[in-house]
Amino acid sequence: MEPSSIQEPFDLIRLSLSERVFVKLRGDRELTGILHAYDGHMNLIMSDVEETIMLVEGDQPGVAPTVNVAKRKLDMLFVRGDGVILVSPPSRT
Amino acid sequence: MLIFSVFKTLTDQQVTVELKNDLSITGVLKSVDQFLNIRLDNIKVLDEARHPHMMAVKNCFIRGSVVRYVQLPSEHVDTQLLEDATRRESLAAVKR
Amino acid sequence: MDDESTPPPPPDEHAPPPPPPQTHTGSPTDFLKGVVGKRVIVRLTSGVDYCGVLQCLDGYMNIALEQTEEHVNGAITNRYGDAFIRGNNVLYISAAEAI
Repeated sequence: MEPSSIQEPFDLIRLSLSERVFVKLRGDRELTGILHAYDGHMNLIMSDVEETIMLVEGDQPGVAPTVNVAKRKLDMLFVRGDGVILVSPPSRT
Repeated sequence: MLIFSVFKTLTDQQVTVELKNDLSITGVLKSVDQFLNIRLDNIKVLDEARHPHMMAVKNCFIRGSVVRYVQLPSEHVDTQLLEDATRRESLAAVKR
Repeated sequence: MDDESTPPPPPDEHAPPPPPPQTHTGSPTDFLKGVVGKRVIVRLTSGVDYCGVLQCLDGYMNIALEQTEEHVNGAITNRYGDAFIRGNNVLYISAAEAI
């Protein structure tokens, strides 16, 4: 049926090992980096990571909120799984 | 279990633990358990001006659940080994 | 081994014959089986919506989506070829086409 061999959601992550992935985290944070390890909690180990932190300011209605973006690079990073919202592998074609 | 093993191989290395309350603590990893609770020695807080009460603290125990990130020394992480071990563990998990 | 998709009901003389299957009946599990491979909307507790083709899901409600659009307040904010969503963030899964 499916062209891919994905039977369970974690297959998607397994096929992304050693690839650059996008990770959306709680607290308006995003990461891109190369995925080297994960477990059933979605704890991750990634290298060559760039973190993007979105800082939204101005919550008053009628005032356009300004989004400040902070970026930083991290060499090798363990990410605790409970903060993970979404992981997107590089698009397969 | 896999990630627990990774942390065990990194004992006595310098790591930086970033907590969910934005506090970052650098120190020598003394021990870790299955919950990824962490003991650090010789600690230094990244932004001491913001956390002056931490200046007197020399070592600490961090509950695993409050950790956001741990920055690891990349020279002590074998990424190929990690990927192979992760594939092995994921296949074992499917068999269960 | 027989096909498990439609297990016969246990014999019961007093029960009326089962009604023909409708989309409005069945357990949550039946619903989830029915939407695999279909377009769905996944709403997270944060209020963000993900619209895409449901590839599969597991018991934790971890979800794999294909051709996914991320919607925040009605506007598309991102597109993903594939997306894994960690189950604890899921508020609901809604069918976006006929099951």
